[in-house]
Amino acid sequence: MTAPGSRRQQLDSMRSVYLVARRELVTRVRSRVFRITTVLIVLLLIGGVELKTRVLTTGTNVTTVGFTGPAQVLAQPLSRAARGLGLEIAIQQVSTQASGESQVRSGRLDVLVRGPALSPHVLVKNQLDTTLQAALSGVVKQEALTAQLVAHGLNPRTVEARVAGAIIHVQSLTPSTPKRTQQLVIGLIVAIILYISLTVYGTQVSQGVAEEKESRIIEILLATVRSGELLAGKVAGIGLVGFLQLAVIGAVGLILIARTHVVTIPALGVEVVAGGLLWFVLGFALYASLFAAVGSLVSRVQDVQLASLPITMVLVVAYVVGAAVVLPDPGSLASTLLSLVPFLAPVLMPERMATGDATAWQVAVAIVLMLVAIGAANWLAARIYSNSVLRTGARVPWQEALSGR
Amino acid sequence: MDSALLEIDRISRRFGAVVALHDLTFSVRGGEVFGFVGSNGAGKTTTMRIVMGVLAADSGEIRWQGRPTSFVMRRRFGYMPEERGLYAKMRVREQLVYLAELHGLPTAEAEQGTDAWLARLGLTTRANDEVQALSHGNQQRVQLAAALVFAPDLLLLDEPFAGLDPVAVDVLSAVLRERAKAGIPVIFSSHQLDLVERLCDRVGIIAHGRMVACGTVNELRRTNIERFWIDAPGAAPGWTDALPGVKVIRTDGSRWLVALEPGIDDQAVLQAALATGPVRGFAQDVPSLSELFRHLVTEEPPA
Repeated sequence: MTAPGSRRQQLDSMRSVYLVARRELVTRVRSRVFRITTVLIVLLLIGGVELKTRVLTTGTNVTTVGFTGPAQVLAQPLSRAARGLGLEIAIQQVSTQASGESQVRSGRLDVLVRGPALSPHVLVKNQLDTTLQAALSGVVKQEALTAQLVAHGLNPRTVEARVAGAIIHVQSLTPSTPKRTQQLVIGLIVAIILYISLTVYGTQVSQGVAEEKESRIIEILLATVRSGELLAGKVAGIGLVGFLQLAVIGAVGLILIARTHVVTIPALGVEVVAGGLLWFVLGFALYASLFAAVGSLVSRVQDVQLASLPITMVLVVAYVVGAAVVLPDPGSLASTLLSLVPFLAPVLMPERMATGDATAWQVAVAIVLMLVAIGAANWLAARIYSNSVLRTGARVPWQEALSGR
Repeated sequence: MDSALLEIDRISRRFGAVVALHDLTFSVRGGEVFGFVGSNGAGKTTTMRIVMGVLAADSGEIRWQGRPTSFVMRRRFGYMPEERGLYAKMRVREQLVYLAELHGLPTAEAEQGTDAWLARLGLTTRANDEVQALSHGNQQRVQLAAALVFAPDLLLLDEPFAGLDPVAVDVLSAVLRERAKAGIPVIFSSHQLDLVERLCDRVGIIAHGRMVACGTVNELRRTNIERFWIDAPGAAPGWTDALPGVKVIRTDGSRWLVALEPGIDDQAVLQAALATGPVRGFAQDVPSLSELFRHLVTEEPPA
């Protein structure tokens, strides 16, 4: 074979892989199933976040507080105190008591504060928020205290500085900061999404293979493309569809985080999405060829589910380990070691990356091990696939699929 | 055009204990329509799958233009498998363009070829329908277009006429003749022997994995079976008993149809007939391909 000949052959081969991948991508992205599931997931994501911000945490709602008369001096201290308690309020000056009342009645004001600064009257439509009430009474007491201090010839600032120094020190053995909780929740979400997408798109590969076998189009295909090219194109095409869907989900997630501040750790979002996508690519490269091999063993699409059980079970194990072992303590030795194991890593490593427990070298080691496993799995799967994909009738036994006869 | 383009040289294949093909040998020339005939399970499909490289032979060789076939050569072969295969949920035109591209055609040519064949096969109005929405016959036409769309160097069609309506049969017949005229070998299998007889330049009859006869229909008649209609009103049953290798097949009034084994002198038969009385007619019978087929396939002992 001359050099230009083999170069040409290489180009031919690449074009075949590209054509197969393009078909998989186009037909799947255009399919109703893909569009509906993507929209559904995005809606679910938006709905979940909105629910959390709107219903579960009323704190982000802005309470409008109107002040009139001498009570106006309370406006700034109340605003400060409320913010300290995680309550956002908007201050409004009201000219007369009557207009304040009518504004509360119409709902334009949530609260009206009037009367003397040390014993103000608070008007609400039906109920005063307990946090706001605490903040307000704290502010009023502070005002009273300041007045008393001045009356006794003391400087309120010095006293305040002294008082501010009297604080309690809290030490918890297992810190459970809001930040930690957020990290764990995101870690779990990442593990769930990776587990689901690897299972769903892996199954699509085996179904696609079985479908070609069942419809016998495989005979026409293999008369014009090599089995390795067909396999590579299929895996790449379907993988790209999965990647696309994950990227959309990730992007929507990032936008939601930016918009609603559900997550208060700013750098977390992009890292998590990038890590998730990276591990989807690696995980898919490992699992997809094995799913294809399983698909090539059966003759009918409905047999795929059962035949692919050994592989989907491994993914289930990865997810269960992720929830039961890694999540409670992502930094433990067990979690670290488990997240390095190639078949578990695509779920566990991004989970630990999301919780902020994976160090750079751990990720690097996991990737290297993963690449070795991908090479081995693809070699094995390509062998099984090319030996079995043209054999119809009964399910091909594993030994025969491996040995070729 | 005269030299054999495709040579099948002593290929054998067994499936477990079953011998599917045994030293099968034949060749097809460019510009020739070759009919491949045999009972169910005789080995036609196995042969075609081996030629297409989707099944390996245990021994023997397939040559194209004198060289052992390679993937690159086979990629230029147009193949219609016995078990039809298309993506059910893919649109007709899209599917054909895709297959043509897979066979190495640039996209523009693939689209051109697709549109031309869709028009030729009367599928233009269904171009954007999913394959599964088409009738069985129309799916068959799409399958055929899939084999033709990339202007192949060889056509290998397994039962292309099965399930086609008479109009489609005519269209397909014309297409096959036209492709052969363009210089490529056309091989197809069929159980419709009258069609094979009408359409084919040469016929290969396969039984139990062996080629039992191969040649033009006339050659097959001459070499395999010789029959005469003899009108001898005076003859009584058993008049041929004394003649070895001569058998009465049936009688029709005073007319007797007798079969002669190869090498038997027809004049000796005439003498015997004259010995029974007057002979009013003595004519060679031209058996149809179906009769030839039955004769060859039933007479030939299994391997």
